[in-house]
Amino acid sequence: MASASAHRAEIARLVEASARLLPPQGPIDAFVAQNPLHGFEDLPFEEAVIRAARLYDAEPFLPESRYREELARGRIRDVDIDAVLAADLGDRTLVTLAGGRITLAALQRELLLHPVRMESDSAVRWTLSESSAIEHARPDLDPNLRARLIAVGRAAGKASDAEAERFMANDLWHACLEATSRSRPAIIHVQPPVRHRDLLLAIDPTLDTDALVHPLLIRLVAAYLDQGVASWPMPDRERGLLAACAGLVGWGGGPLESWAHALPDRLRRVAAACDAGPADESVALDVIAAEFAGLGIPRHAWPDHVARSLVALRGWAGMVRQLEVRPDRAPVVRLPVRLVDFLALRLVLDRVATAWALRERRGRSTGGRPDLIAAWIELRDRFPPRRGPGTLARAFLLHQVAQLVGLSGVDVRGLDDNELVEFEHAIAAFDGVARRRLFHLAYERRHAIEVLDGVAAHGTGRPTGGRPGVQMVCCIDERCESFRRHLEETVPAVETFGTAGFFAVPMYYRGIDDWHATPLCPIVVRPTHTVAEVPEADAAARHRQRQSLRRLIARLRGGAATGSQTLVRGGLLTAIGGAVAAIPLVARVAFPRLAARAAHRAADLGGRRIPTRLELARVAETPLPDGTRAGFDDDEMAAIVRRLLEDIGLTSGFAPLVAVIGHGSTSLNNPHESAYDCGACGGGRGGPNARAFALMANDPAVRARLAATGLAIPADTVFVAGMLDTCTSGIRWYDTGRVPATHAEAFGTFRSQCDRAGALDAQERCRRFDSVPLDVSPTQALERVESRAGDLAQVRPEYGHASNAVCIVGRRILTRGLYLDRRAFLVSYDPDADDEGVILERTLAAVGPVCGGINLAYLFSRIDPLGYGAGTKLPHNITGLLGVMDGHASDLRTGLPLQGVEIHEPVRLLVVIDAPPDRIRAVLGRLPAVRQLVENGWIRTVARDPATGSLAVHQRGAFVPHVPEHHDLPTAPNSRSWYQGRRDNVPPARIAVALVPTETPR
Amino acid sequence: MTAARIHYAVAALVAWQFVAPAASLAAIGLPALFGRPLSERATTRLVGAGFSTGFLAALVTLAVLATRSFVPEVVHLGTLFEVGHHAASIDLVADGLSVPYVCFTTGLCALVNAFAGTYLHREPGFTRFFILLALFGTGMNLMVLAGSIDVLFAGWEFLGISSALLIGFFHERRNAVDAALRAFTTYRVCDVGLLAAGVVVHQAVGSGDFGRLFVGTWPDATCVVSPTTATIVAGLLIFAALGKSAQAPFTGWLPRAMEGPTPSSAIFYGALSIHAGAYVLLRCEALLDAAPAMAWSLAAIGSATAIHAAIIGTVQTDLKGMLAYASMTQAGIILAEIGLGWRILPLVHVVSHAILRSLQILRSPSAMHDRHELAAALGGPPGPSAWSLVPLLPAGLARRLYRVALERGFDEPLLVRFIVGPVRIALESAAAAERRWVAYLGGSTHTAARHGDDGGAT
Repeated sequence: MASASAHRAEIARLVEASARLLPPQGPIDAFVAQNPLHGFEDLPFEEAVIRAARLYDAEPFLPESRYREELARGRIRDVDIDAVLAADLGDRTLVTLAGGRITLAALQRELLLHPVRMESDSAVRWTLSESSAIEHARPDLDPNLRARLIAVGRAAGKASDAEAERFMANDLWHACLEATSRSRPAIIHVQPPVRHRDLLLAIDPTLDTDALVHPLLIRLVAAYLDQGVASWPMPDRERGLLAACAGLVGWGGGPLESWAHALPDRLRRVAAACDAGPADESVALDVIAAEFAGLGIPRHAWPDHVARSLVALRGWAGMVRQLEVRPDRAPVVRLPVRLVDFLALRLVLDRVATAWALRERRGRSTGGRPDLIAAWIELRDRFPPRRGPGTLARAFLLHQVAQLVGLSGVDVRGLDDNELVEFEHAIAAFDGVARRRLFHLAYERRHAIEVLDGVAAHGTGRPTGGRPGVQMVCCIDERCESFRRHLEETVPAVETFGTAGFFAVPMYYRGIDDWHATPLCPIVVRPTHTVAEVPEADAAARHRQRQSLRRLIARLRGGAATGSQTLVRGGLLTAIGGAVAAIPLVARVAFPRLAARAAHRAADLGGRRIPTRLELARVAETPLPDGTRAGFDDDEMAAIVRRLLEDIGLTSGFAPLVAVIGHGSTSLNNPHESAYDCGACGGGRGGPNARAFALMANDPAVRARLAATGLAIPADTVFVAGMLDTCTSGIRWYDTGRVPATHAEAFGTFRSQCDRAGALDAQERCRRFDSVPLDVSPTQALERVESRAGDLAQVRPEYGHASNAVCIVGRRILTRGLYLDRRAFLVSYDPDADDEGVILERTLAAVGPVCGGINLAYLFSRIDPLGYGAGTKLPHNITGLLGVMDGHASDLRTGLPLQGVEIHEPVRLLVVIDAPPDRIRAVLGRLPAVRQLVENGWIRTVARDPATGSLAVHQRGAFVPHVPEHHDLPTAPNSRSWYQGRRDNVPPARIAVALVPTETPR
Repeated sequence: MTAARIHYAVAALVAWQFVAPAASLAAIGLPALFGRPLSERATTRLVGAGFSTGFLAALVTLAVLATRSFVPEVVHLGTLFEVGHHAASIDLVADGLSVPYVCFTTGLCALVNAFAGTYLHREPGFTRFFILLALFGTGMNLMVLAGSIDVLFAGWEFLGISSALLIGFFHERRNAVDAALRAFTTYRVCDVGLLAAGVVVHQAVGSGDFGRLFVGTWPDATCVVSPTTATIVAGLLIFAALGKSAQAPFTGWLPRAMEGPTPSSAIFYGALSIHAGAYVLLRCEALLDAAPAMAWSLAAIGSATAIHAAIIGTVQTDLKGMLAYASMTQAGIILAEIGLGWRILPLVHVVSHAILRSLQILRSPSAMHDRHELAAALGGPPGPSAWSLVPLLPAGLARRLYRVALERGFDEPLLVRFIVGPVRIALESAAAAERRWVAYLGGSTHTAARHGDDGGAT
């Protein structure tokens, strides 16, 4: 059949297109923060959020009340409102309304600065009878307007000011009422939805077919995708989602819920088709086409129907999609899963539920099979139009607005019908979403000005003349900003760099305790190398002993854990040994820090850590079973080292000691633990990458190759590696035994300096935790953050990326000594060594999606914690080792939990690039994906001209010079004196102690 | 010390075990009622003080009782009413069952309180949670220490309401409210059993006092009523226990109850609430001794539920659902043990199981972490259990059994078809009959017809 194959192709295309609308989040054990609106990136940000909000039934911006609070406390200022209004209206600024009495700009300004209430007719009636709202002028009225009002009232012969005011307010009310009575309330015809469920729900709010379908669908999909929670996996999973579920439910045994009586029959036929048909997606595509035909969905409504059907349960649908395109990211079991299977299954269920619901509505008496095809057209015809506000409601709104813009009763009576319609239309068009959009722009504008003024005023220090004592390369992560700053304050002779925390080493890594290799690199990259951590030769025997002991303990513990859930073993175990659990229960709850330490010691089996080494060098040329190669050869290593050093602009002036520090986070009882790990490592921990890099850079063969190509690393330079735990603020160092004796002392000193910086870092982090007093000392703070990491009850072990807002691509000298409040990703880039923009190109290719993704994930999770975020953690329930549900059967909750974003200020990332605008433009031309982010405003881009130091903000394709509001920057002796005692975000300041000394003593 | 002084001292201690949580409830509840909730720290400290002093009082009482070979101490708090020989008095009893049990419940409550103080930090419903926790603790101790079936019923009701409200803690979510309503309805239906048992006991012995109903000390007491009465009362108590302990046919609410904050799920459905039924049956064990038919039925229902829940539990893919069925399995075994005539074993089993399960639920968000460590130590993900019976089944049967388990034994449709449906029809026809009668007695056919129309729509 030609038409069948055409249908198939079209449906496949539609599913493919709609898949972009699903959350991009994969299994939760490798949580990578990404833009939940990635499917909308081809649209400008502001348009996209509004359209996406409609599709997902989410919020486009923060609530208006929230912005008004920010306005009240000065976080948004009147000048910001004026500026965004002027920019937004453009040449419409001069449009006048109400017969030339006011301008559109003035109207919108008043509506932003003063809240107006839009009430229903009945609410207005209540207000009129129960309050004196229309008896007085607005309390927030501008004093000049009030004076004018009173003057007019007095002129009309009123005795007192109060009486005059009352008279005028009353008169205006009657004028408004007369005005709105002249026209009828509007009927707003809305495009009816395409899904039967939405059509039915609009008519009968008690009839939600999704509430019938979803519990069963969730149960089936969860059982299919399960990675090992259930001890009895679903049968026939290898045959695919549709075949397995159809085969299971097609067997009609057992009573069913009343809506589902027709289901087994239908699914049996699907199962038969799966058995007979090929194993590819054609069966599912045919099922989808058949269901569309059965549901009576015309061709033109298919795209919308596919999108809406998938989005209705988008967490699960998204997980299906993720496991379809990235089976290598499945935590345990690779499954042949396809989104078309999911859609086919869902539509079969939908049709059965719809037929039942239609029958319910008609009542059983009429009997017979409902005609679904006719029903779709009929339901759409009957879709209730939305009524515009009534006369009273409009009058009430008009009354409020007229006062704000200084229209009196006489003025309102003077409006002709056209002017009135136009005026009311202008008010209505500036609705809640339009106001929130402008508020949001104003909110972001204030943030940008604060940061850019700080950067501009800070200027640059002069580079050090001498050789630095230590250099440190960290991740660009904004959580490393405070660590770097504190280290620089502690050790003036240190020089720090920031680069994506996989240190240019993309690899599958298998740690000594891991059972399989996991990818450690940005998610867009698929590594081609595998590196394993193995025990040192002399510790191999000890390692084997330890492993067998661990295995024994794990068998016992795992056996006890699963056993306690069974019948016979569970009965014996709980009855006899359950009380033993009292020890960990009491310890964990009452003494979390001690218990965590004891647990760590127990995990190490009391002994020392096994000394290990990385199997970094290429052992054999034959590829591993997964197609990757074990280890890197010398050329590959040299290329990696060269690339990273060039990226960060460290090609000469090496210090004797160079520390490479990855980062990760450990916390307990936290399904989102991996969300706190390194985004550049795909939600993994970057320590092994740092370790690998240091080994490569120390390798004489690699150094020889580098020197041959002009990158000479001095013989007395030693690389060391470590991992910063962003939860405990401590560093774990690797391969300390390999540091040569010549550098041992310097390394020892540096470690203790890092410990000091870590304590200060902990103190700076603690100021954000409500439960920690503001005056903790660094030592106490360190204890606090350590105990948070090991506390079962702690839902905020750390705040993750919650403070991200800025990204600065440039030399550290631009920001050294500038307090950035852990809010800035710091990417090292030397514009002087990159005239062609080659380095900038690869830097932005990584930074744009990674930092932008993190920023947008936080932004949307904060703007709508329920629609885009994962909601509160408190009822979260881990499902299938893939994600979390709310309670016992909900959609998979994607995005970040409320507890992780509650302190986040949702502003788009402000990326300051230290490069001439022309170079940036040229580079963006070569990076379509990043260019889309920049030009559609998903990130805010600023160019800093390295020659002049002037800043230019990207606006609609052009770089517009930034005009500073303030040219001076507050100065504090050190970070601590600047942040201590404050909970909120702290503005930039110059930190005197960390400034590079202009004259370096030799 | 004289016996009288010891008695008063013990009385004060016993009363404190119930008064302390009640006082903390008032201390945090009243300010909240007037719109000035206390700070988080003050709230957790007050509730913590209530539970921990209650716990200490229980420990001291236990020590005193142990020196006196567990002779029960009855604490008479007052009399509700007295008519001739008939009296409803408010008594607490401290004996070998109630005092150890209070130690366990208040201790666990104190721990969960400490846990929740951190866990619920900054949660808008913070105060509400602790009010409900204190209410639960008060009810629990009242029920455990009850010296009469009337007091026991009062405590039981506090338990029910606080449990339902905590399931619906996130009342902005529809699932949570549905689940809360489901649990509440199940509780109410089964509460009828306890209430009716109270009425029968009053009728039989002229009082709700256990002292009048039983002779001797627990666990060797005997009951004074006729075997028929004993059978009826035991049957009613079992009916009540089945609901609270999620036994067949009332199993469906428990997995759905995992909607509240994790600590409340732990203490209610892992630890205390789920065993309330077992406690009541242990308290009235003498009735079971006198009613072997009921004891056997209890053993049968408990075993059946245990098997049912154990099978369903194996296919659950969410942590909390799996733990809910694991709890149900053990609660079934415990009830079966009681039915088979054991006394100390089920008591130990309750305490032991509750501690283990609440720890498991409290750390259920660590599952990823734990799995990872386990897989690392084993050198791979844990394979299928060597103990599983599934491989022994023929494939077709296994697939069908899997389906039954995935549908949770079809509990929902069965309940609707055989219980909710008929009850609804019966109630609707009763309502219709009432309308007809009212119309007949009122002499108007017109109103009857109109009301009939209205009624049909609801």
